[in-house]
Amino acid sequence: MQHLSLTSPAGVFLSLDAVLILLTAFACLGSKLFDRYLTYYGLQSVLLAAAAATAAVVTGDNALWVLASLTLCLKGIAIPLAARRLLVSRLQLQRDAGIALGLSTSLILGAGLCAFAYLVIGPQNLAHGLISRSIIPLSTAVLLLGALMMVVRRHMVAQLIGWLIMENGVFLGAITLTASFPFIVEAGIFFDVIAGFLIMLAMTTGIAERISAASLAPPRREPS
Amino acid sequence: MPYLLQFLQSLAVVALAPLYAGVLTRASALVQSKHGPAILQPYFDLWKWLGKASAVSDQTSWIFRAAPYVAMACYLAVSTIVPVITDQPLPLAFLGDLLGGALVLGLASFVMSLAALDTASPLGGLGASRTTWIGSLAEPALILVFFTVGVLSASDNPYLMNHAIAASPLAMVLPTHLLGAVAFFMLLLAETGHIPIDNPSGTIEISMIEESRVLEYSGREYALVKWGGWIKLFLLSAIFMNVFVLPWGLGDGTSLVGGLVGILAVLGKLAVCGLAIVIIDSSFAKLRFFRIAEYLGGAFLLALIGIVTSYVVAK
Repeated sequence: MQHLSLTSPAGVFLSLDAVLILLTAFACLGSKLFDRYLTYYGLQSVLLAAAAATAAVVTGDNALWVLASLTLCLKGIAIPLAARRLLVSRLQLQRDAGIALGLSTSLILGAGLCAFAYLVIGPQNLAHGLISRSIIPLSTAVLLLGALMMVVRRHMVAQLIGWLIMENGVFLGAITLTASFPFIVEAGIFFDVIAGFLIMLAMTTGIAERISAASLAPPRREPS
Repeated sequence: MPYLLQFLQSLAVVALAPLYAGVLTRASALVQSKHGPAILQPYFDLWKWLGKASAVSDQTSWIFRAAPYVAMACYLAVSTIVPVITDQPLPLAFLGDLLGGALVLGLASFVMSLAALDTASPLGGLGASRTTWIGSLAEPALILVFFTVGVLSASDNPYLMNHAIAASPLAMVLPTHLLGAVAFFMLLLAETGHIPIDNPSGTIEISMIEESRVLEYSGREYALVKWGGWIKLFLLSAIFMNVFVLPWGLGDGTSLVGGLVGILAVLGKLAVCGLAIVIIDSSFAKLRFFRIAEYLGGAFLLALIGIVTSYVVAK
């Protein structure tokens, strides 16, 4: 996988896919409806599953097929659906009022972080014409964007989404570069993250039901 | 022969721009289940306006009367330097590069804003202020978009960009190029006053952006102003299709037949671009004014990421 050429069909597809993943991270950062966060996060996870499937095709490793389908089912479908049912339908969370920084400002900061990722990774020093050249900086940028999302959003659910985006960034780098990584380790981390997310979602729900908004911003109207 | 083709290109732009606008209007109406005006309606309108006397307020100066002619000259100048019907540079192609073209289009917009201020009508000032604000946000993004194609073709001349992309189809699917193309399309919509920035068929003066600058014009000057707007839409769409999306099918710059085939090719390509514009016009709402900054910031961001990802272009 590390030796995949950037100009082969799989290489072109992977770098496009990684750019789209980056764009969904930006879309999350630039929206302020909980519904949108979940949509973009689900889309990002589907793209990530496509990347994992490409890696599985290239390496012929069956474990990667399992990871790809797990990613698609859990992160691409289950989490967005369950979270939407819980947060949007039941708790009527709609507009994220806990935004610490204007959307345009955070987008520009995000673009700066993206450039920073390219600066510190220095892809021009990496091996010429290989897929790692395009994927490593992009996955680092996604990770940094997730971190930025956690910084500029005050609402707990939004911060959770930021955390999941960070995790997607790490996963993207890991899946496309180190396919020889033991499957059990990746799957273990995967389930840790899912479990953590579910626990936090449950906590958020509890808190939100009690005080009606888990936000440090001024309290909003009681949900009817 | 090259000079003949040069003349043919500008003539085609000037003569076919109203047709493109008419087709767009008719197609939008059809998509919205209306009948719509005839495709040739812009020509009838031009004919009517050109035959009318022009009423000019006695509060205006020569700036107001000169502006439509200056703007029209700017559009004609741009029509000589961009690839519309040939992919070989024509004699005047090296008057300026894409940045130069953007500068000249900026000059046209500037004189129209001056003219709107000159009338001292409240709506004119409003329109001038809004258009200038949008232009000042769109311009940096536009320059970055030209850099994204410039990175791939190592040039800022539209003909060479066209060659570089037509020569290697792989370049079409590179992230840099795709992001640049999407950003340019977003800017095209903003520059020509289409949804989601402005409603081209809007009739409420207070919410107009581009149109409210020209409310004071009538008769021949009004014809020039409208015609100029159509030419701008035609030119930007032609650049989008010939440089970014479908760089093939143009004449080779030595034979008249190639040029005539190029005209047909560009009409076909504009139909594709127009379809995209019509779909967006009919399926989105106009943005709230202060969200336009976010829209243009998005275009800027796409172009910036395009340039950043060009680091990894495999040469």
